[in-house]
Amino acid sequence: MLFQLVRKDFLLVKKYVLIMITIYIIFPLFLVWRLPEYAGILGFVLITIYSVFMLLQYVSLKETQYPKASALLCALPYPRKDVVLSRYIFCLIIYLVCCLVFGIETLMFPRLGTFGFTMPVMLFLVISLILSIYLPVHYKLGFEKTKIFFIIIIMASSFAFPQFIEIKSGIYLSFLDMLSPTILLGGVILFSIIILAVSATISMQIYKKADL
Amino acid sequence: MENILEISGLNKSYGNFSLQDISFSLPEGCITGFIGINGAGKTTTLRTILGLTSKSSGNVRLFGMDMKTNEKQIKERIGIVLDGGGFYDELSLSEMKSIVASAYKSWDETKYRIYLDRFSLGPKQKINTLSKGMRMKYALALALSHKAELLIMDEPTSGLDPLIRSQLLDILKEFMNNGGRGVFFSTHITSDLDKIADMLIMIDNGKIIFQEEKDILLDSYRIVKSDLKDLTKDTEKLFVNISKTAFGFTGITNQLEDIKKAMPDAITERTTIEDVMLCNIKGGKK
Repeated sequence: MLFQLVRKDFLLVKKYVLIMITIYIIFPLFLVWRLPEYAGILGFVLITIYSVFMLLQYVSLKETQYPKASALLCALPYPRKDVVLSRYIFCLIIYLVCCLVFGIETLMFPRLGTFGFTMPVMLFLVISLILSIYLPVHYKLGFEKTKIFFIIIIMASSFAFPQFIEIKSGIYLSFLDMLSPTILLGGVILFSIIILAVSATISMQIYKKADL
Repeated sequence: MENILEISGLNKSYGNFSLQDISFSLPEGCITGFIGINGAGKTTTLRTILGLTSKSSGNVRLFGMDMKTNEKQIKERIGIVLDGGGFYDELSLSEMKSIVASAYKSWDETKYRIYLDRFSLGPKQKINTLSKGMRMKYALALALSHKAELLIMDEPTSGLDPLIRSQLLDILKEFMNNGGRGVFFSTHITSDLDKIADMLIMIDNGKIIFQEEKDILLDSYRIVKSDLKDLTKDTEKLFVNISKTAFGFTGITNQLEDIKKAMPDAITERTTIEDVMLCNIKGGKK
């Protein structure tokens, strides 16, 4: 059932999925060509966040366009919690596909840098944090009002990530030295899963009470 | 006869509108029409029954089970047709079907294909290319392909031409003949109910006005036509609705025996559901 609901989200945005995959493949290569200093990790972080949130926005837009379809879905034997959970899984699948595509690209184009585990895990934390705030807000306020939140994220990420990368070595790496990388990455993954689980529970509670 | 749906003490508030103490039941084996003007509370009641909107208080029981605690089992046994279908218009029929079908354990693919052939619908067609009538047929194909026992429909005949409405009514009769246990549909097009309904429930301004068997209800009301001289202060009280012209008057009564005694020469005619509905709502009373 859950799989079918995730599939439904991909069906709704199938046109955009192809466009996003194309952009996702081309964008890092474009950075290597035009802005090599930003290619690699920064390109990966930005394009992955954009891919996840652009597709999430498209799904939300379609759901807003067809509100009776959401009502029909909840009138069927689908539990509302599965409808919510499928949206989280939808976003995580996009993240995983992005990691896979970028990983393959780094093998084909060494100038993109080495991929490793650290950056995908850290990005998982960033995406989990954003989703954990965004989705409950979306279920509470609806698509239109949450769009403002999305615009702020886009604008803030453009400024914040270059700065984050710069200050990261000074503060963050000293903290990393105190822990073994395996424990650190494991801890980050566990923390990300916990905040996603808490967020999903809150979203489920909100959607359970929503009038459709 | 067992009741397949029982609503008791249902209350729900929405800004200026509220459902007030809604109570009614649907006996097994009946096609029940849920009538009322636009904004009377039909859709809100149906949505509350289906758990799409929360209720302030009250109980909803289907097939003897509480909706709150047995939602999944109950929904497995219900076929749903929403006003306009409730589809993602950009999907194809087969894509939308795959979403609906996977929700039901007892989905019958063969039955679905038979309905599609019967309605001349192609599985690869996009939903947004369907006419209103075809959308309704597609919604019925989806609602009837999982061995539903109760069909709940919200304004299914609204905006449809007479031929498609007639075909829809035939399908509902067929559904009941094939072992369906009940149909509950809201409408403001009462002529459809004249042909098919066994039971009528009327709602107005968020309150249930009556629940009655159609034949008993129509039998209890009569249109009366007579001269103005027959109208006195006392006889006027026997009517629920009166329309006067220079030549006489036309009224609707539910006290036929008293009218016959008071106006032996008056002409009486059978009422339609629309006549009964209009004389029972504030704006329809004259």
